[in-house]
Amino acid sequence: MSEDVKNQTGGDDTIAPPASRRRLIPFNVALVLPAQLTVMAVVVVPTLIVLWLALTDWQPTQGVPWWQADMIWFWNFVDLWYDERFTNAVWRTLFVVAVCIVIELALALGLALLFVEEWWWKRVAVSIIILPMMIIPVDAANAFFMLFNDLGPINHLISIVTGEPFQFSWLSHPTGAMVPIMLCEIWQWTPLMFLMVLTGLMSLPQNQVRAAIALGASPARIFRRIMLPLLSPVIGIAVLIRSIETFKIFDPVYILTRGQPGGATETISMYMYNGAFVYFRMGYIAAAALIVLVLVVSICLAMSRSLKRYS
Amino acid sequence: MTDFGSRLNRRTLLKGSAATLAAYSVSPMLIGRAQAQGADLANVHEYAAATAKELAGGRSITLTILQPSGSLGNVKPVADEFTKATGINFDYVEVPMGEINQKVLLEAVSKSGAFDLALPATFGVPDMVESGILVNLDEYAKKHQPADYQTDSLFTVGDYYKGSLYGYQTDGDTYLMFYNKAWLEDEAEQKGFADATGMTLQVPETWEELDAMMAWFHRPDEGKYGGALFRTQYFIAWEWWGRFHAKGFYPFADDMTPQIDNDAGVAALEELIAASKHQYPGARTNGLFENFEAYGEGDKFANIGWGGTQKYLHSDKSKMKDQMAFGNMPGGMVDGQLLRTPYFNWGWNYVVNAQSTEPEIAYLFSLFACSPAMSTIAVRDPAGYFDPTRPAHYSDQSISDTYSASFLEAHRASMKDSIPDLYLKGQGEYFDELRVAIAAADSGTKTAAKALSDCASAWTRINRRMGRDSQQEQWLFLKSKYPSDVRDRLK
Amino acid sequence: MDRSFMTTALKRCAVILAMLFAFFPIYWLFATSLKPFEEWAAWPPVWLTDNPTLQNYRIVFFPEAARAYAADQAGSLDYKVSGSAWKAFQDSAIISTCATVLSVTFGTLAAYSIVRYRTGGENYPFQFLTVRMMPPIAVVVPIVALFSVLRLSDTYIGLILAYTAFTLPFSIWMIRSFIEETPAELEGAAMVHGMTQLEAFTRITLPLAKGGILATALFIFILNWSEFLFALVLTSGNVTTVTLQVANYVSASSGKLYGVQAAMGAISTLPVIFFGYIIQKHLVRGLTFGAVKQ
Repeated sequence: MSEDVKNQTGGDDTIAPPASRRRLIPFNVALVLPAQLTVMAVVVVPTLIVLWLALTDWQPTQGVPWWQADMIWFWNFVDLWYDERFTNAVWRTLFVVAVCIVIELALALGLALLFVEEWWWKRVAVSIIILPMMIIPVDAANAFFMLFNDLGPINHLISIVTGEPFQFSWLSHPTGAMVPIMLCEIWQWTPLMFLMVLTGLMSLPQNQVRAAIALGASPARIFRRIMLPLLSPVIGIAVLIRSIETFKIFDPVYILTRGQPGGATETISMYMYNGAFVYFRMGYIAAAALIVLVLVVSICLAMSRSLKRYS
Repeated sequence: MTDFGSRLNRRTLLKGSAATLAAYSVSPMLIGRAQAQGADLANVHEYAAATAKELAGGRSITLTILQPSGSLGNVKPVADEFTKATGINFDYVEVPMGEINQKVLLEAVSKSGAFDLALPATFGVPDMVESGILVNLDEYAKKHQPADYQTDSLFTVGDYYKGSLYGYQTDGDTYLMFYNKAWLEDEAEQKGFADATGMTLQVPETWEELDAMMAWFHRPDEGKYGGALFRTQYFIAWEWWGRFHAKGFYPFADDMTPQIDNDAGVAALEELIAASKHQYPGARTNGLFENFEAYGEGDKFANIGWGGTQKYLHSDKSKMKDQMAFGNMPGGMVDGQLLRTPYFNWGWNYVVNAQSTEPEIAYLFSLFACSPAMSTIAVRDPAGYFDPTRPAHYSDQSISDTYSASFLEAHRASMKDSIPDLYLKGQGEYFDELRVAIAAADSGTKTAAKALSDCASAWTRINRRMGRDSQQEQWLFLKSKYPSDVRDRLK
Repeated sequence: MDRSFMTTALKRCAVILAMLFAFFPIYWLFATSLKPFEEWAAWPPVWLTDNPTLQNYRIVFFPEAARAYAADQAGSLDYKVSGSAWKAFQDSAIISTCATVLSVTFGTLAAYSIVRYRTGGENYPFQFLTVRMMPPIAVVVPIVALFSVLRLSDTYIGLILAYTAFTLPFSIWMIRSFIEETPAELEGAAMVHGMTQLEAFTRITLPLAKGGILATALFIFILNWSEFLFALVLTSGNVTTVTLQVANYVSASSGKLYGVQAAMGAISTLPVIFFGYIIQKHLVRGLTFGAVKQ
């Protein structure tokens, strides 16, 4: 990206003000100050608070304010290590991320390939297909709640197909409830992957493809050997960004199951919400939050570093 | 809210206010004497309104009430009466029913001052007291509460914590039984049942009898089921609680050792699991409203529920209207004698936020709202969910029409002797462990004995985390509040 | 010829299938919002109602009128929802707009500084990205603690600050990519002609980037309007949002009031659909932090 900037501005892209104009705070620093301060106030300071809370077992029912809580040092982390519900939530979230990303990518690729050509109602088709992205996530989740109701249309469709009344209770079933949750996420965000892949496809250099066609290569071969490698930067970014966002999944889980029955559908965000705002074990959850933060940031840095190297 | 009722109350309020004003104008000493006497139960609502008005002293005050969604019909008519009498206005903040306890606890953390009064579920009050978010109402009660105010109400155990008052009960959520009257009184069935089991087919007094009847009536091939009792993870623990107490034990010993995994506990759980076979197919997944509809179909023998259940079952939507017999939650035979253990497992209490700027006025409103006269107005609302708690409610005609007189008779008997829920700090954690254990045993993942013993270990850990001495203090206090018939017979 | 016709036909069918899949849940939402109470959870489910009614929308906006209407209908359900949803729409509008203005303003200033001055070096913009990497729930717990000390709980300012901070990564990166597309020579030329740095920025560069900045503003407005978790935890009733209001439509004797929730959902999502289509071209750029441009 820095190369692009250099190319556009023709080399000397820093315009430092003349010495006579320098003030106490350099102009450029003053410009970023509002954003920087807001982020520090709302993100950095709370992270420091998390560091404190994670070393205590603070609960509001202890009757003392949080800054006067008793220190228990690293016992929260020990408890978390043995806490099955926590580790299950982590694995479950990683599972959800993997499944959703793979399905979204496959659907997006397949769909984007259908849109490389032009036809008269193409724009309408695109508009409809990206509609899911523009629904408020909680309303989408509520819609899926109604769809997967015992007496809802999904069960009805399955009944028509199998010929027998099918009233499976999706949302009360420990593993079955993961289906509406993941489906809601996939439904809502495949359009984004689709748009990204389509953008990538549209900007592919046509020469290589035309040459391959002229040389008689099959469409499958062209796709695998030429298009996919050229698309990989876009796919890489798509996978990275969607993975981060899917890891944070909360709205569908909250609306559809709250993590019930008994924590069987808890993702890491739902686990932390339940721990902090239903059971009010805030010190304990702060420790969990710390672990998750470290985990996520290190995985992200690793992923983006490999992305930079790759592209 | 019927016009008759409101007109009557407005007149009496006016009369009461006029009387108080007259007392004011006569002499300061007389005022002092009237306040020291408090008020008597019949017009405590007038007294509360007048005192609140005096405290407000002409200032423009708005009280905000945090209420569970769906209760506005119970709260607003009473609040409107209060506004009429005092000029104090109200704002309502509605939160989903399952979240109001969390919202009040969140207030302990965020201290936003967003509400003066709240209506949390009763079992959450200990946590709220421990977190310092509730005003201790002892002082105000000494000043204003009539001597028989609480003894008149049928269930007030949840109003107190470690000996102090924290709120007033508004909803008679005692857990009771519904039976298919036609099947019960069918002579052929009675004879067949007596021949098969040696017991009489009538409203059962013990769990043993109920289980036998449910087994007897469970004929899926004929389209009949033994019961519609809940087998979802959230509800199942309540039935076990009743079965366990009916065997004659407290959940904790005096030193806080859990007793739930003793022989009685295991037996209670095994009997519950055996009874699961005789419930209708939806019992494992259906929640409250599905239960109403399912039992209303008329093809199941027994159901368990609250006044709200009866509101549905006595309406035109249900086929069971006027077809039911009612009874307490069954008891058990302990030391050769019948022990009845009806169970109060929900309820909503008016509580006062410690962040409120007008705690005494807020208290006076709750005194007003739970007075016999005003609470009758609240309970009357046909579509709300406050159930009867005071004798005045049972003799009210429109309430009787909503619930049916025979139901009210059973409800009153059940309320009078209800054992409380586990009113301890961390109630949610204790009960969640119990729920998970019972559900695991019911689904066959663990044996009953193992499930309960794991749960007891978890309870010991929770005791430690909550502070064993603090828990013990409340537990001994709670034991002393168990109904007198039951208290001394439980070990 | 036939073979390519078949392939094209199949391709178009696949597209139509995708369109159906995309549209179906939305159709169900809007269809349910028009259903009368009996049809909300009927079996077999009602795919297209024969008795469309506006009662659900009435409950959302005019609960008193709805109660009067219901009182005429024998056997209709007990609508006991309290206030109308106006407050939720009002509060959402206030908070979303203010947070958007703040985020775009701060973001523009910061983005300009980063592009033209390379402030903070090459890795500085990535610091803002880490804000989006963290699960919000991890930060919400200490924010509740912090706000309780600062008395910002359940206030407009508190929520606005939180929203601003969490959308700054988007505004900085998006606006940065738009500013990068404006040539810096123009500014240089303007300054040679006597304009100050700031004047050159506001009079030359900003107008060129204004389309992109507007698109960013709408994008961030959409994010703020749809936000749920912070609103859930940082408010206690003084402030409410449209995303929270939907959860209030639960009745004591009937459970979730599907029709009313659908009505509220349908209305509250309309602004998002509207703005979303306006900035359709920039959606990808936004959601990939400017990395991928359409």
